[in-house]
Amino acid sequence: MNSIAVDHISKRYGTLQALDDITFTVSPGEVFGLIGPDGAGKTSLFRILATLIRPSSGTARIDGLDVEREMTQVRRRIGYMPGRFSLYPDLTVRENLDFFATLFGTSVDEGYDSIRAIYGQIERFAQRRAGDLSGGMKQKLALSCALVHRPSILLLDEPTTGVDPVSRKELWELLGTLKEQGITVLASTPYSDEIRRCERVAFLHHGQLQGIGTPDEILSRFAGIFLPPAPERHIAPNTPAPIAENTQSQHSQQDNIIEVKHLVKSFGTFRAVDDITFSVRRGEIFGFLGANGAGKTTAMHMLTGLNQPTEGTGTVAGFDIRTEHEQVKRHIGYMSQKFSLYGDLTVAENIRLFAGIYGMSSSDIGRKTDELLQQLHFAEHKHSRVDSLPLGWKQKLAFSVAIFHRPDVVFLDEPTGGVDPQTRRQFWELIYQAAESGITIFVTTHYMDEAEYCDRLSIMVDGKIEAIGTPEELKQRFQQPDIDHVFTLLARRAKRSDI
Amino acid sequence: MATLSFLLQKEFLQIRRNSFLPRLIVAFPIMIMCVMPWVMNMEVRGVVVDIVDRDHSVSSRQLVRRIEASHYFVFGGERSTYRAALSDIEHGRADIAVVIPPSFGSQLRQGESPNVLIAANAVNGTKGGIGSAYLAQIISTHGARTATASGMHSINLYNRHQDYKVFMIPALMAILIMMLCGFLPALNIVGEKERGTIEQINVTPVRKRDFILAKLIPYWIIALFVMTMCFLLAWAIYGITCQGSLWLVYLLAMLLAVTFSSIGLAISNYSETMQQAMLVMWFFVVILMLLSGLFTPVRSMPDWVYATTYVNPMHYFIDAIRTVFVRGGGIESIAHQVAALAVIALGTGTLAILTYRKNH
Amino acid sequence: MTAFQSFILKESRHILRDKRTMLILFGMPVVLMLLFGFAITTDVRNVRTVVVTAAMNPQTQRAVEALRTSEYFTLTAIAPTAEAAKEMIRRQKADIAIIFSAQGKQTAGIQVLIDGADPNMSQQWANYANGVIATALNNQQHSPSPAAAGSLASPTVSTRLLYNPQMRSAYNFVPAIMGMLLMLICAMMTSISIVREKERGTMEVMLASPVHPLMFIVGKLMPYLALAFAILCSILLLARFVLDVPIAGSFGMILAVSTLYIVLALALGLLISNVARTQLVALLMSAMVLLMPIVMLSGMLFPVESMPHVLQYVSAAIPPRYYIQAMRKLLIMGVGVESVTREIAILAAMASLLLTLALATFHKRLE
Repeated sequence: MNSIAVDHISKRYGTLQALDDITFTVSPGEVFGLIGPDGAGKTSLFRILATLIRPSSGTARIDGLDVEREMTQVRRRIGYMPGRFSLYPDLTVRENLDFFATLFGTSVDEGYDSIRAIYGQIERFAQRRAGDLSGGMKQKLALSCALVHRPSILLLDEPTTGVDPVSRKELWELLGTLKEQGITVLASTPYSDEIRRCERVAFLHHGQLQGIGTPDEILSRFAGIFLPPAPERHIAPNTPAPIAENTQSQHSQQDNIIEVKHLVKSFGTFRAVDDITFSVRRGEIFGFLGANGAGKTTAMHMLTGLNQPTEGTGTVAGFDIRTEHEQVKRHIGYMSQKFSLYGDLTVAENIRLFAGIYGMSSSDIGRKTDELLQQLHFAEHKHSRVDSLPLGWKQKLAFSVAIFHRPDVVFLDEPTGGVDPQTRRQFWELIYQAAESGITIFVTTHYMDEAEYCDRLSIMVDGKIEAIGTPEELKQRFQQPDIDHVFTLLARRAKRSDI
Repeated sequence: MATLSFLLQKEFLQIRRNSFLPRLIVAFPIMIMCVMPWVMNMEVRGVVVDIVDRDHSVSSRQLVRRIEASHYFVFGGERSTYRAALSDIEHGRADIAVVIPPSFGSQLRQGESPNVLIAANAVNGTKGGIGSAYLAQIISTHGARTATASGMHSINLYNRHQDYKVFMIPALMAILIMMLCGFLPALNIVGEKERGTIEQINVTPVRKRDFILAKLIPYWIIALFVMTMCFLLAWAIYGITCQGSLWLVYLLAMLLAVTFSSIGLAISNYSETMQQAMLVMWFFVVILMLLSGLFTPVRSMPDWVYATTYVNPMHYFIDAIRTVFVRGGGIESIAHQVAALAVIALGTGTLAILTYRKNH
Repeated sequence: MTAFQSFILKESRHILRDKRTMLILFGMPVVLMLLFGFAITTDVRNVRTVVVTAAMNPQTQRAVEALRTSEYFTLTAIAPTAEAAKEMIRRQKADIAIIFSAQGKQTAGIQVLIDGADPNMSQQWANYANGVIATALNNQQHSPSPAAAGSLASPTVSTRLLYNPQMRSAYNFVPAIMGMLLMLICAMMTSISIVREKERGTMEVMLASPVHPLMFIVGKLMPYLALAFAILCSILLLARFVLDVPIAGSFGMILAVSTLYIVLALALGLLISNVARTQLVALLMSAMVLLMPIVMLSGMLFPVESMPHVLQYVSAAIPPRYYIQAMRKLLIMGVGVESVTREIAILAAMASLLLTLALATFHKRLE
């Protein structure tokens, strides 16, 4: 008997066809991947299988039980982890786990064996509130909560969005061990390395099933979508000389758009950023890597003038971040982790607002808006409300708005979280264009393929910068084949509990 | 200035696009103005009187008929015993019981003063007190010359028809401005915090003053719009018009709008969630409103409570708007309130700008 | 531990850890009770009085003296003309003006000018002024004998103010505050807390678990029930020991009727949470649908009898009205349960109707 049998399932919301005649089966113990771009209908499918919504037509069975008629029995067998964090932020780790255990009529002690591997990693934070955990730890806790009652089928809707590469790897290693316990896993993911860890994958696009097969089959068949070629830089960057900390002082002040010395940010006794010193040269693409909770966002908030440093000094675009933060703001662009354009304004209105804040005149704004939208092939959406656009487009738009006023440097905080490889590639083309026009790029990311696109990288661990240099240098220095391995090597040295 | 105009455009677009706000801004004043003047009526009316007539003489029947005929009271019926009348009171069927003694008529004829008992349900002190006082007046003048002071009469200077609506409509304007200009900006900023858009604004070089002004000005304009609607509705529905200069009322409304929108913003600067902002705002609004003299006279309050009215913007506003709207006072009558309100508005406005931080 | 107990535990933690909300929830009753108990009164006090008189004769003197010494009036000025007095009232420097027009040694007439803006108060001021002056003048007239007065005597009146002899407004407001706060906590707080789970996505996990969703909801309601009782008790304690409002009726009955009312409010909260999708909508629905009508139409501040008939019908559909009525009878008047059967019956009917509706609209799935 199949663990999951989906038979001609369709789901429509009003006129929107979310799922269109989907049929597939998953055998017991299989790790099955559900992949496809944003809006492909993955979440609707998960919700149907979790008995949360009814299909418009077709049937689905979990362990032979119908998800509509035998709802209660189905609910006993599944573990479900929705896309967003489904934890109570004001309860502690242990309280969350206890709560979800009793929800399924078991206790943490009884189910401990099935969660040992994951929960073991976060058990020392049992008394910490879930809201204070980093993204990776939240995911581990959510997974523990979904596993504690030993379900026979685990439904995971994008469990690793916003999680750093090391935590992602650990998570998937754990999913692999579940197979030994006979647990079936159905998971969706935008990462190609995770897709490869599945036994079979189904590719959804616009609510339709495009293909089922082994990861390699699907990835090669739809290579254009999952493995797009790396974006090309038309002009070589002003080839940075090999960097060593001691040679930096030889560069003139003007070459360094960002100059940071002994920067510290403490929250109480906790040093989120612990004495970092580095510089970024004008015109380069600087990758600012680090695990969840390593202090990247805090450091970026100090550079952009959102936070005051506790100790240390720094200049951005020639202005002191401590005393001249409002001048700093005049010369930078910023794109935050959360999507932060106004959803209830149109594309043109958003551009107009932010351009206006930077003091552009109305006529300039009009002309340049049209130019930009032409360039993005986005002219027909000029008067669409931003919240009606797909995520990938929103991110491209947010980036364009962040550099619309021609800043000296633009800060991007995980700009490509949760989007498919093809869109990410298009996004990087925009970054390259901006860099070619002379804008310095300061970017954080959890995608290690993107890290390879940067001119220079720094890797933060426990609030300190552990390594800095070009991707090639780092690979050589740590003798690893790619940045992914360098990152994993360094991040695994982390000792401190992440915040 | 240019930045401000861009930010203002954004705020207006957002208010217009919102599915709920424009409707609220139009429907809420209409609803309040159409319904509330009828409700906010503290006039004591419909006091139900039970009579226990133990005399049944000509004179006592006359008294019963006089009470029955009074427009002020609703005649609940005659009961045979005091106990039966009391039971009516206990069940909420009557408010006052009048007991006429057995010898009422004969005592009167002999020039003695018979004693009539009035038992009033005084749980609601106003109703019981005013009802029984009025009833006592009817009874004590029964069959006698008026016993009040010679030639004493009183004249009401303003609100000649003693219409409660005239008194309450300025209060409703105050409540509307307080609700719309207090709660909406508070929810607005917390909303931007929750969506994360405020972070994007904070990394731009926008000046604090511009940002805050852009947040507040739309609500000031809304306040003016709402005031205009109130004037029109009061005139159209109730035929009540402003006795003094309209410009003075608009001036007062502006000052109150500035004060409350600033308080709303200051609260939202300290709140993480909408629920928090709403509850804290509600707390302040209730206290400011109850202690302002909106419903009850401030001078009846104990002295230590009365002292708080010196810092209560609502008190100055309600005092001043009633002077202009009901009594027809000019600027010289309300100069002191206008000055006080201006100081408070300036203070809260500064507070709103100071508590908003772009850099932590 | 059963699932049910863990629901209760979890929800209690949510409540206890949100310090700011807790502060307001418990601060609100205290502040309201103190305000209504001490600050908000319609007593006639400190009425600013102007006296207008051309020449002081002994009669006028006596009347002015009586006004000055009375606790109701504060003599603020003596004005030369009626016009000047009017201007003072217009400028809000005075509330009433008393004009003595004298002819020689005798006071010929007394005119009282009153700021009529507030009809209720102006009427009371007039009555009090009449009373004070009349007493002062009558005393002076050496009360002529009834025989001299000739004809008929007038009946005297003795007034007995039942239940609240000092006419304290606290007696009236305590039940009203109970009605408002219990509704606010039970309906508004619970609906927001359920909708918050929907927004956070925890509801999704809950629904995908084998526990019956209703059990989850009931478990969620329990701590709010406890909170409501805690607030009820603190109101009663404040009323009894701080405001000196006697708790005349049986405590058991008060508790029983309150429980019925709390159940009704919880059902209402559940109903709102079934309809609302976001916290903001739940918040606004509770504020618009619950708070405004309760404050305005339940007879808490404004007497229902004075409203137009249409509004009286609307007010008849508002549950707190009956609860407040029942509490006034049980708490203040101390009457037996037989006097509140009607209120109890209506509340019970409303509660079961709302409960049925809430359960009927409850979703076991996301849509």
